[in-house]
Amino acid sequence: MVWQENGLHVELTYDHLNINASMDKVRSSKAGAIVIFAGTTRDNFDGKSVKHLEYSSYIPMAISTLSRIARSVSSKHGLTGISITHRLGTVPIGEESILIAVSAPHRQAGWRAGEEALEETKEKAEIWKLEEFGGEDGAIWRANKEGSIGVPAPR
Amino acid sequence: MTAPCPPSGHFTLLYFAAAYSYTRRHSEYFEAPMKATELFATLESRYPGIKTSVLDSCALTVNREYVNVEENSLSTEKICDTVSDIVVIHAGDEVAIIPPVSSG
Repeated sequence: MVWQENGLHVELTYDHLNINASMDKVRSSKAGAIVIFAGTTRDNFDGKSVKHLEYSSYIPMAISTLSRIARSVSSKHGLTGISITHRLGTVPIGEESILIAVSAPHRQAGWRAGEEALEETKEKAEIWKLEEFGGEDGAIWRANKEGSIGVPAPR
Repeated sequence: MTAPCPPSGHFTLLYFAAAYSYTRRHSEYFEAPMKATELFATLESRYPGIKTSVLDSCALTVNREYVNVEENSLSTEKICDTVSDIVVIHAGDEVAIIPPVSSG
């Protein structure tokens, strides 16, 4: 699932994420910097050991939300390019679940834009993370919103 | 996920994340028309406990646009103050329960 337009690229995929592919989406002779963020899956939450994570999505809405984020962050920071890719399905511990690449004429705009794109994505994209603890601990639908502990997923 | 096509006179409701875990379904058909503010009460009667466990923290979309869900949608007398606030779900609509998101 891909949406792209003039230097803007958003994608949801069940495959492994590829940093070089993300970089190539934003590479430009007009850019003096490419900033990459890779979010990886952690092996614990609040001391509980996480076996693996599973991401699901309302795909058409998430694509449209991510494209809005890409467009607004790009225009606000004068980017040359931006790419937001999120992985879906089961993601083993330690692997990338999200890659954000931005290119900009100068690095300061790149750093800021990358951070903002990530925060906006975490707040708004219609994507959900299930943390599987294994054994009797079960699984929890995590929520990014502060103060929210998530909802246990009954078996 | 591609939304399935509902039978005539019905709309499709999509369940994600915690809503999927609670109902054990990815989607379900309901008779249209229905006021958006009545949907959560309808779900509570079909899936007792879902309101406090899941729906209270959820948003609602109709045809991929967010709509307002009144706080007290369980009490029929107190739905909306103004008629224009009431979103009506029509046959063929794609409606979705949106739990708090957690990408990244």
